Amino acid sequence: MIKYHPNINTLTEYASGSLDTAAAIAVSAHMHFCHQCRKQTQDLQLLGGTMLDNNIAVADIDSSVLHSLMQKIDAVDTKVETKVQPAGHKQVTDASLAGLPPVVAKMIGNRNKLKWKRLTKSLQIAPLTTGQSRAEVSLHKISAGGKVMQHDHRGQEYTLILKGSFSDESGVYQPGDFLLKQPGDIHSPYAAANRDCICLTVVEAPVRFTSLLGKLLNPFLRLSPA
Amino acid sequence: MAKLLREQSSEVSKTDSSHFNKVIGEIKPAGEQRLQNTAKRTDSWSLDLVAIGARQDREAFARFFQHFAPLIKGYFLNHQGMMMSSTQADELVQEVMLKVWTKASKYKPEKSAASTWVFTMARNTRIDMLRRQSRHNTEVLETEDIWATEEEESPVARLQMQREQKLVREAMVDLPPEQAQIVQIIYLQGKTHTVAAEELNLPLGTVKSRLRLALAKMKIQITQSADEADLLT
Ligand SMILES: [Zn+2]
Repeated sequence: MIKYHPNINTLTEYASGSLDTAAAIAVSAHMHFCHQCRKQTQDLQLLGGTMLDNNIAVADIDSSVLHSLMQKIDAVDTKVETKVQPAGHKQVTDASLAGLPPVVAKMIGNRNKLKWKRLTKSLQIAPLTTGQSRAEVSLHKISAGGKVMQHDHRGQEYTLILKGSFSDESGVYQPGDFLLKQPGDIHSPYAAANRDCICLTVVEAPVRFTSLLGKLLNPFLRLSPA
Repeated sequence: MAKLLREQSSEVSKTDSSHFNKVIGEIKPAGEQRLQNTAKRTDSWSLDLVAIGARQDREAFARFFQHFAPLIKGYFLNHQGMMMSSTQADELVQEVMLKVWTKASKYKPEKSAASTWVFTMARNTRIDMLRRQSRHNTEVLETEDIWATEEEESPVARLQMQREQKLVREAMVDLPPEQAQIVQIIYLQGKTHTVAAEELNLPLGTVKSRLRLALAKMKIQITQSADEADLLT
């Protein structure tokens, strides 16, 4: 049962198309798990359609635009797309990626390509390639029973639980749960004892550990966006 | 919280019967007329779309183009981040309408209104364009990998969908101007709440709560409770 969702303003930015690409990746991955947010987004898109249809800022368009479009259509002998699955929904071949949101599976591509960096005894991070450079997108793995030292957040950080679960001072998070940490939020998460916890993390600025040891480790957290 | 409540109640008191269109300045007198026309013809657009998908019906496509192309062009020209010429906008309109032509067979009239479907096509084309402009590598992840245009698998009953659409359209007309303005800026100008707040010189929380109030009036079911922290950030 998913308890933590993107808020309605974030979903509206997603539906209207202004949400930053990296944040949109996290939202779209959440929707893989969450029927409620899919429905909500559908309603928000219905509003978008209604806004478009009542757009009073209509612009005149010359009839030659339609003509040249029809010529293009004739020229390429457009194959009408049949009902194939869109690229994002391709069958995930690697069994260990099964059950992951398609957008995450696509970023991982091949599990063997993941480069896990161990940051602390219980925390490993693998950067993901997204094609943008405004935010760092990565997988975080907290080992079973492991605790991540207290850290705060310098930029907005989106976390989506993919597998396992973790807890912090304010709750327990299960697969599909979506968390947004604001700059200045401090927490120290720990994974459930029986299995590793894997999260998708989108961070606008690297996290900062608040303990002394953490401060020494901090340089390693500056993953370069890929 | 008290501050928020005050803000909300002052918005309610400002709720005169101002027409939605008054907010936006350059109004075409035909605005209201258009509203009624589309209400009547909503259904025929999905029929046209089905005809395009099923048998590549060119007449249906031409009708569809004549209705939606000027709207889509306005949508592109209106966007803040894309200063473009009329010719560039025409090219993007062609890009959207080409998608309409090739993807129409995937359109399911029982799941979404034609205008909703076209909106997602235009939105994704705009996102594509902005991603290319900011030199994103759009091959690693295509826009459609992130912004799916597929509809929810469990079909919303067609009647229910039409009811929702009617409700949204009617409520939109009666929105208080300051709420209509936010919906307008966010959807048609493609701005984030943050940018809208900066431009209007309003606190971010005010912009967010105005949007939520507007959504509530349009009966867009809000399934999560808004906490104060949400609004203030
Ligand atoms: Zn959700």
